[in-house]
Amino acid sequence: MVDIEIEIDGSVVHGHSGESIISIADREGIDIPRFCYHKKLSVAANCRMCLVDVEGNPKPQPACSTPASAGMRVHTNNEKAKASQKAVMEFLLINHPLDCPICDQGGECELQDVAMEYGSDVSKFNEGKRIVADKGIGALIQTDMTRCIHCTRCVRFGAEVAGIVEMGATGRGEELKIEPFLSEGIQSELSGNMIDVCPVGALTSKPFRYEVRSWQMNSVESVARHDLVGSNIFTQTHKGKVKRVVARDNESVNETWISDRDRFSYEGLTNENRALTPKIKVKGEWQEVSWEAALEAATSGIKKNSAEAFGALASKNATLEELYLLQKLTRGLGSENLDTRLDVANPSSTSALETTISLAELEAIDHALIVNSYLRLEQPMINHRIRKATLNGAKVSTVNSLTFDFNYRVANSVLSAPQNTLATLSGVLKALLEANSLALPDYLKDTKVDQAQIDIASTLSAAENAVVVLGEQVNSNPCADQVAKLVTQIAKASNSKTLNASATGNTLAAEKVSFKPNGGLNAAQMFTANLNTFVLLDVYPTYDCVDSTAAIEDLSRDDAFVVAINSFEDESVLGFADVILPLASFYETSGTHINIENVAQSYGASVKAAGDSKPGWKVLKVLADLLELPGFDYTDSPQVADDALSLSPNVATSEVDIIAMEVPNIATVWQYTPYASDVLTRHAQSLQQTQIGQISEAVVSAATAKILELSQGDCYKGVPVNINETVAEGCVFVHTNQARQR
Amino acid sequence: MISDKAKQQIDTWVAKYPAGCQSSAVMEALKIVQAENDGSLTSESIQAVADYLEMPVISAYEVATFYENYNHKPVGKHVIRFCHNISCMLNGADDLISYLETKTGVKIGEVSEDGLVSVKKVECLGACVGAPMFQIGDRYYENLTQQKIDEILDGLK
Ligand code: SF4
Ligand code: FES
Ligand code: FES
Repeated sequence: MVDIEIEIDGSVVHGHSGESIISIADREGIDIPRFCYHKKLSVAANCRMCLVDVEGNPKPQPACSTPASAGMRVHTNNEKAKASQKAVMEFLLINHPLDCPICDQGGECELQDVAMEYGSDVSKFNEGKRIVADKGIGALIQTDMTRCIHCTRCVRFGAEVAGIVEMGATGRGEELKIEPFLSEGIQSELSGNMIDVCPVGALTSKPFRYEVRSWQMNSVESVARHDLVGSNIFTQTHKGKVKRVVARDNESVNETWISDRDRFSYEGLTNENRALTPKIKVKGEWQEVSWEAALEAATSGIKKNSAEAFGALASKNATLEELYLLQKLTRGLGSENLDTRLDVANPSSTSALETTISLAELEAIDHALIVNSYLRLEQPMINHRIRKATLNGAKVSTVNSLTFDFNYRVANSVLSAPQNTLATLSGVLKALLEANSLALPDYLKDTKVDQAQIDIASTLSAAENAVVVLGEQVNSNPCADQVAKLVTQIAKASNSKTLNASATGNTLAAEKVSFKPNGGLNAAQMFTANLNTFVLLDVYPTYDCVDSTAAIEDLSRDDAFVVAINSFEDESVLGFADVILPLASFYETSGTHINIENVAQSYGASVKAAGDSKPGWKVLKVLADLLELPGFDYTDSPQVADDALSLSPNVATSEVDIIAMEVPNIATVWQYTPYASDVLTRHAQSLQQTQIGQISEAVVSAATAKILELSQGDCYKGVPVNINETVAEGCVFVHTNQARQR
Repeated sequence: MISDKAKQQIDTWVAKYPAGCQSSAVMEALKIVQAENDGSLTSESIQAVADYLEMPVISAYEVATFYENYNHKPVGKHVIRFCHNISCMLNGADDLISYLETKTGVKIGEVSEDGLVSVKKVECLGACVGAPMFQIGDRYYENLTQQKIDEILDGLK
């Protein structure tokens, strides 16, 4: 790329040869009106709003599709440019309904702004305007297609970014419409971004419809904490309520996109199941009490029992500050029983797979091996980066127990039930080592290698920038540790990077503050050790625990005193808890998220906590004070974050032997839909109504179904059985929005 | 949905494009399938074409709604495609269209009761030298007059 000089409106500016005029102008802060141009999408040049005068050209040129060349002289606001812009504006408004007073885009509409700047005050058009009948496109996006100006940003977003070709431009001339083929709803985990790219009010947020005018809201910078990326967002609030969430640009984190989960989860904040008042259970009856009384009850309950019998369990979506204070409290009491890994079949693992690649680097890979993951739904923004790499020719291989609908082509896909995953990965490793004539470790001596494994190995060795991704389905595997170790070895042998996506949310913050036992009991062990005191931080065993029935039974013991610091109440929590301390939820508390690149992103509270609930760091600080523990004299949450971030986590690296552990002949992989992955999203209604939110099936092959005596339509652990051959033999893949059952 | 014969016909078109570019044959494929289904397309047949050519159905639908030679409602055995663009209009197309409507009793976009004819207005068919004109099947009828239209209609079976 050559640096060139051009002149825009008389000032000399720099660009690369071939760069469009509009992109140079944008960088220089020179305004050029536009509708169809979007920096992250291909150039369509169909709206003609960006016409500018380029000296030497008889006709005005579209700035978005005219490449700059050295010495070019561009005028964006001389007579000729202005006349063209005005003409285009008049043309675009011919069929636009001008229903701005009842349009949710009003006040933040590119058409409104540009019309204000370039429009005329009278229209020469006296004919009837056209009206477009709407096809609905699902629970998240409201369509008012009469307002559409056919810029095709949404169509290009779908095809180029989301990887779904569902919206299209049908008909022609006056009959041109932007619509999907069927009105089943857009099936994408990123669909909400269409709202952001639509320059007019044709696509707006459905849950936000008619809520409040855009200019009445405050925009607060925040960070989403549903996944490992920590997408940057604005929460838009009105009268103390979050009304909408939109993307905030941060090129190195989420670029300019956010997932639907990050965008629409806020609806859960006002759900009727929120815990709003402190409560204590007196003789089996719940009583609403003051914070003082509830904290007093919690303190005396905790003091009654010994430290060894104390256990703390926290949500992996909790803030860094909350996790830090709860571990400090637990350790201050003298207990090492603490964990966030409630959904992990075998949390005794100490070896965690390291992440050695950055989000930006993911775009430059030439091969990705995805193990145990439906990455697209688990980590939408990470998957998006990999998809970008595939558009440049990167290949993807998968080792999964179910065939997933990725939004890119998967070159080698190996189906492997959890109990065979070690063997499959060992095969890949052996093939790799043999191909590079490296010495085989003992545990690979008897490993058999098949063609599919050789294919993956040879794609990996041929690649120069490969990454091996481990996803959250590994948590259903008792041998998760060994799987992680094999992934590390495979990456080493093939000179690949690794990405650990096995635990989501703010897991890396939990790692940072060592929110896991160092010699004490882990999540699974705590429920079998007859502990007397539990403190739960936003934990809902029905959904969160691998064996929810056992966990609830244990928590319900008469001699178990349970303090639930929870943002929501559900039946089981009300059943087993003795004290409920209502917790401020997402956006209601300040906090810090640590993302996959180990970047700590702090944010303030966007709104006041609902009801009487309080931010977790305050609750834990006061609780610790009442328990007379030293070192809790914090006055604000940044102080807590500072202390937490100055810790260096004790990375206990214990040797893992690759030996197959006992795994049932038929294994179950349990995966929640992305909208059942944490308590806030589970309460966000619109997300639940989407097709992704409604997924609930136990997929099993015909042969395995026969062994389990299941037939189509039966229920397996409460989930409808779906028999087909997209799943590995010897396992049931449960993909659901329902709580875990035995 | 698509007969084997139609598939064979489509395949000859697919073969004209480089491997992997089978969707380039979408226009012909739609035409073939339309011919097989009494001259019109349905959501199902468009879906079938998209599936057969391994392309997103919306893309096939875009093509099917862009071009006028695809019909989305049932049509008569003979579709009279009457040009109403500038040359034909200047030469009296509009009056002749009304004449045709009264004569056949079929309004633009409708099918006659016996299913024999339907009438459609189309844009310039590139036969301006012979304006006014219409097309039935593969044939152009030019320099139309009321009398000529009568004769043509009489000849339709
Ligand atoms: S719906 Fe919005 S984004 Fe899509 S083409 Fe219309 S104006 Fe553009
Ligand atoms: S922005 Fe350039 S033509 Fe639309
Ligand atoms: S205008 Fe009718 S054929 Fe050209």
